[in-house]
Amino acid sequence: MSVMLTKFESKSNRVKGLAFHPTQPLLAAALHNGSVQLWNYRMGVLVDRFEEHEGPVRGVAIHPSRALLVTGGDDYKIKVWDIRPQNRRCLFTLNGHLDYVRTVQFHHEMPWIISASDDQTIRIWNSTSRQCIAVLTGHSHYVMSVQFHPKEDLIVSASMDQTVRVWDISGLRKTSPNSGGPGSSNPNGPGNFEAFDTFSTVKHVLEGHDRGVNFAMFHPTLPLIISAGDDRVIKIWRMSEMKAWEVDSCRGHFNNVSSALFHPKHELIVSCGEDKTVRVWDLAKRTAIQTFRREQDRFWVLAAHPNLNLFAAGHDSGLIVFKLERERPAFSVFQDTLYYVRDKYVRAYDFNTGADIGLLSVRKFGSPYVPPRTLSFNPAERAVILTINSDNGIYELTNLPQQAQGEVKDSSVDGKKGSGQSAIFVARNRFAVLNKTSQLIEVRDLSNSVVKTIKPPVQTNEIFYGGTACLILSSPTAVVLYDIQQQKTIAEINSPPVKYVVWSHDSALVALMSKHTITIANKNFSQHSLVHETIRIKSGAWDDAGVFIYSTLNHVKYCLAQGDHGVICTLDNPVYLTRVKGKTVYCLDRSARPRTITFDPTEYRFKLALLKNNYEEMLYIIKTSTLLGQSIIAYLQQKGFPEIALHFVQDTNTRFELAIECGNLDVAMETAKSINRPECWERLAQQALKQGNHKVVEKAYQQTKNFDKLSFLYLATGSKDKLSKMQKIADARGDPMSRFHNALYAGDVQGRISVLRDVGLHPLAYLTAKTNGLEDLAAEILEAAGLTEADVDDVPLFGPSTLKPPPVITPTTDLLWPSLSAGENFFDRALVNGQLEGGIEPAYVNGDAAAAGHSALDAWAQEEKQEDIDPEEGGWELDADGGEFQPAVDAEEAVAEEEEELGAGATPGPSETELWVRNSPLAGDHVAAGSFETAMELLNRQFGIVNFAALKPLFLSTYRSSHTYLSPYASLPPLKLHIRRNPGETAPSRVLPVAVRSLESIRTELAEGYRFVSMNKLAEAQSTFRSVLQALLLAVVSSDDQAKEWRDTVTAARECLLGVSIELERRRVIEEEPENITRNLELAAYFTQCQLQPPHMQIALRSAISVFAKANNQAHAARFAKRLLELKPDPKIVAQARQRIAAGDRNPRNAVEISYDEFSPFEICAATYTPIYKGTPSVHCPYTDATYLPQFKGNLDPLVQLAEIGASASGLPASW
Amino acid sequence: MDSSELYHIKQQFTLGAFRALVRQPLPDKSSPDYVSTLLYKARSYIALNQAKSALELIPEDAEDIALKAVSALARFVDSTKSSDAETSLEELRDLSVEIEGDDVDCTEKEKALVRVLAGTAFARAGEIEEALETLGSDSEDLEAVALIVQIYLSINRPDLAKKQFDRSKRWAEDDLLLQLIESTIGLVTGKDNYANTNSFYTEQLGNPSLSSPHLLTARGITRILRGEIQEAKSDLEESLVQQKGESEAEAAYVVAVGLGASKKPESEDLWAKFVSEHGSHPLVQDITQKSEMFDQYAANYVVPPQITLSA
Repeated sequence: MSVMLTKFESKSNRVKGLAFHPTQPLLAAALHNGSVQLWNYRMGVLVDRFEEHEGPVRGVAIHPSRALLVTGGDDYKIKVWDIRPQNRRCLFTLNGHLDYVRTVQFHHEMPWIISASDDQTIRIWNSTSRQCIAVLTGHSHYVMSVQFHPKEDLIVSASMDQTVRVWDISGLRKTSPNSGGPGSSNPNGPGNFEAFDTFSTVKHVLEGHDRGVNFAMFHPTLPLIISAGDDRVIKIWRMSEMKAWEVDSCRGHFNNVSSALFHPKHELIVSCGEDKTVRVWDLAKRTAIQTFRREQDRFWVLAAHPNLNLFAAGHDSGLIVFKLERERPAFSVFQDTLYYVRDKYVRAYDFNTGADIGLLSVRKFGSPYVPPRTLSFNPAERAVILTINSDNGIYELTNLPQQAQGEVKDSSVDGKKGSGQSAIFVARNRFAVLNKTSQLIEVRDLSNSVVKTIKPPVQTNEIFYGGTACLILSSPTAVVLYDIQQQKTIAEINSPPVKYVVWSHDSALVALMSKHTITIANKNFSQHSLVHETIRIKSGAWDDAGVFIYSTLNHVKYCLAQGDHGVICTLDNPVYLTRVKGKTVYCLDRSARPRTITFDPTEYRFKLALLKNNYEEMLYIIKTSTLLGQSIIAYLQQKGFPEIALHFVQDTNTRFELAIECGNLDVAMETAKSINRPECWERLAQQALKQGNHKVVEKAYQQTKNFDKLSFLYLATGSKDKLSKMQKIADARGDPMSRFHNALYAGDVQGRISVLRDVGLHPLAYLTAKTNGLEDLAAEILEAAGLTEADVDDVPLFGPSTLKPPPVITPTTDLLWPSLSAGENFFDRALVNGQLEGGIEPAYVNGDAAAAGHSALDAWAQEEKQEDIDPEEGGWELDADGGEFQPAVDAEEAVAEEEEELGAGATPGPSETELWVRNSPLAGDHVAAGSFETAMELLNRQFGIVNFAALKPLFLSTYRSSHTYLSPYASLPPLKLHIRRNPGETAPSRVLPVAVRSLESIRTELAEGYRFVSMNKLAEAQSTFRSVLQALLLAVVSSDDQAKEWRDTVTAARECLLGVSIELERRRVIEEEPENITRNLELAAYFTQCQLQPPHMQIALRSAISVFAKANNQAHAARFAKRLLELKPDPKIVAQARQRIAAGDRNPRNAVEISYDEFSPFEICAATYTPIYKGTPSVHCPYTDATYLPQFKGNLDPLVQLAEIGASASGLPASW
Repeated sequence: MDSSELYHIKQQFTLGAFRALVRQPLPDKSSPDYVSTLLYKARSYIALNQAKSALELIPEDAEDIALKAVSALARFVDSTKSSDAETSLEELRDLSVEIEGDDVDCTEKEKALVRVLAGTAFARAGEIEEALETLGSDSEDLEAVALIVQIYLSINRPDLAKKQFDRSKRWAEDDLLLQLIESTIGLVTGKDNYANTNSFYTEQLGNPSLSSPHLLTARGITRILRGEIQEAKSDLEESLVQQKGESEAEAAYVVAVGLGASKKPESEDLWAKFVSEHGSHPLVQDITQKSEMFDQYAANYVVPPQITLSA
């Protein structure tokens, strides 16, 4: 235990009692000043205070399942509190103790509270009836502590009388089936102590401490008791049904031991005392493991969290919450597998199948109490490097077994160790080790020898993989990308100490995690963004789409490359994310067990789509998700995408706002209609005016009855008829001012005059009429005013007014100001097309896509996979002479004799092609090796081939495809490299050239030939079959099955070639000798005798039927038709065949006599296309086995034109 | 320790990024890197078979012994007549002798470079023994080691190459060139299914500070050797996109297509195109030679008469 990790610390009055909340991060602390504090230790905040006790509070406990707190103090009182924030209050007080209450505790299932007091009694209370149900007497001094057994009906108490007592309280449970207890039926109340004693008996009295005992507790599972006393000793006791005895003592504290606890999960004891120390002991060995010392403060109380690896200790000036070990499991992810360490075993967890297997024990690596800190995985070598903090930091490099074995391998068997605080793989066969004290980074190879030493440019605390040939160095103030080769800094980013580094799947982005910040950088650190968190950051993983998902103490969050981040879900307990795939987060919990969390990635997917302008995806999300709240809208608005936000919003007010903001007048109009409030219309009008859409403005003004503006708008647009309408409206409204306006705007003099007349402004009306030359009207007005011309002769004369509205040049009434389209608005288009309804899910890359192939890890691993492929290795091994030509390549053996050869005198060794020739009896391999001479010999010997000219292109292309050239070094002639069939093989006696033409590829070509036949391209088919037969000569065959397949292919190709040749000959006969019907019929009949593919056989038979029917050879035609029926052709063809048979039955005669006896088996001579009946002599082609008449012996076979007919041949060599 | 620019240039040279290298401008003449950069640039031209450009780059009156050696090599590579070639070789021989003298005024580095350049020329001329002698078996210059190793490999002595490599591992601190040497040896021996070579090229392809189509070609060839024809094709296609008509990539592509499952005519067309464009590539020369051999051997067999049917 090299560290005790303090997670939280508070300053306060002396802490005498402590209790953890079982599920929430809460800790209750009872203080000497009478206060009880409730802390959230994760957030570090004081949640609540309970201050009703008078004097010190010593005992405190939280109910295991309900929101209840019990406290006991020096005021003799026990108080029960409701701790729910909305409801917090003291529920009730239990009175009865006659002295200080030392400890209190809830029973795990009964509604009981137990308390220990200086009045020498232990009392059990029913919290339902709020009465004392038992008083346990027997101790002869203060009872310092009392605890229920976690499962059985036992309690253990510790007292100043130097004893620990175990009590049996099963009687109590029996007599209180309704949890009422005897007290409830006792009318006398809790005064009568003696009455309770029958329900509880002292089972064991444990004597051994020399001073008073401060604390005692049961082991959670074993029959053990631990006690801590003023004699500075911790004692361990074992008990059976009958008795209890002392097992051992832990000595080391040099003052009173206040408390000692069993670790809830590990075989450890944690104790604290007035000697200002907290100590950790090994339960099995009873030896001290670790001591944590404080300068000033005496420790008074310890508490262990019931489920988590957390402890709290109270001292003179506050409390601390601490962990005994790091819980972050060491892990590494490769493809679909998580490699991690649990309980000092390296395990592999398959994300897809959930299979979780132990691969390697690391129990002997470092201190047994410390888990490994980091794990680096090398897929190519299937090796891991672990580091551990014990022993000043060591690392170990071990290979993982290929499969889980019955007995898990221990790393100490072949592990390579060394000292260093940080060790990681940097390449397939290199790893880097950081030594913090000497500040040196060593690059080592897999045999653990140093190949390079680097002095980092900054104070380095930790190193991480930095991409090819690079390291990431974490210093206290910055993080440095460092080139190993060049030994120089590539880039540096200021950052708090980086603790973890996670690369994205495509190695394009890296997340650098510190305690409270995440820096997302690209691979050469040239761009980066920073995310701040107030809560401690624990871990993170990349989504395949480049979103970083990370966990803090209490949240899972996401972070986009440009720095946007948000919450995905909340966590009860911290987890360590290992991988994100689709909607699933894979993680390890604090006990290093794999877990998954499903979440809704909509929000970040949407934001990411927005960033990448991936509108299809956005549209899809908009369509399918229901979970987009105000935050998304605010986000979109803030990021300048109101038009997109528009599509999310149902609320009309927001829609209106957004529509105005993005200038979408249609939507604005629509929403304004449904809102129908003047301010909306006004804003709409304003926006529309800006955009020059006067129709919308008009509508808006109409809606708000803004007549003045409306009129002016009509003036501006030159809409005279509208203006006159406005006059009428104004008239109807009885608004003469408005009428006047409109008349003025419309240039309607008469209208103006009539307004003036109507309102009685006769002088103005008169003058208006007069100046506009409307004399009649003027006179009329005068008359109406009861005046004559004479009355107004003092009025000066004005010339006719030239003032009038300008004429309308372009009527814009129906024209809108053209607005520039704001780019292609995908959403509008989509909405118009109705696509929104039927959006197709776009291929979101996360999780579904295969991981990007460029990461170095993948490449390493691929090599690994390839190594397994070993096709028929050793197939050609000639054991007898296997070793003869070894020395040249096998350096190991030849070291001694070659020592002097280094240098100028080196003689050339055997080339790879020579090895190939030696290793194979197949002509194809010899051709690939360029040894044409031997290849020809082989072909001649094996297949009687004599005419090689046709094979030349094949030879050359085969040879060509077996070698390649590369110049690794400048200006030198390129190296000739030889392509092997079995890349895994390096032994010189086994290397073989690549199979240029595999049997499969030749069969593909054969199939092509079949197709030509079906398509009636017989000439092409003929040459294809020939080429197949040529290629087969150089095919590589390496097993009996393959040899059989080879032979079958040869036969099939030969038959097809023969058939096609016959048919071609028949067509030639029709063409050139049309009168030779006999030959025509014979050839048609022979064609059906070739062993063809079933579809080709149908063709052959159908052609024969028609030819024979035409020649009136009905009997033969019927026979062919019968054969055709056996092949089960199409119904249509069946009908035709039946007709043929019927015709044959009616007229079973043959008009033309031909040489064709289908009832006695025969072969067809491939030269003359005549039958060779069984029993008559024949010769064969040594390669294809085609049959020839004996007179052709010694000639070149006409079919393939390669072999000498009748030559002797050994056939395919079978040496596998 | 080289300056960062020079380091980068060296890295480019080592990894075959010659085209990128020659495109870079030379530093100022007063820069301490000037001569070294000039040397690398000239050597890159030579590697690209543009010896004339290299010669233009080097001042006629160069006093520097390394520069003299480079220009001699350039002339050798450029020479079409055997007499010219022999003159250049002689010049290089003289330079190699000169640096052995006590009174020469040049650094160890320059001496090593002269040996490397001379060795290159000798190796090209087929004077293997002379090349090895010039380079010396105990050289502590990695370039020399690279040369020696490649020469050993070309004469089918991977065992000696390996030994030379193991020797240099002791003093060459995991240098990039050392890794290249290791990878080249792997290319020939095929150890562990070419794992080392493949990972070397894959790692270098991921190297952010440099990109070279040569690396893609090299990985493509490695993949051909590993039997990953499809992957090899994609590497080579990518490489050819980046540098059209590069003979090495083209040659490898022809091979990859020949091995792939593609139609025969396609492979033959490619081959014909390759022959017409890169007639001097060793693959073409080799095939031409083999073709002659074929005719010669085939003539050993008497072709029996065709059947003549008296129809």
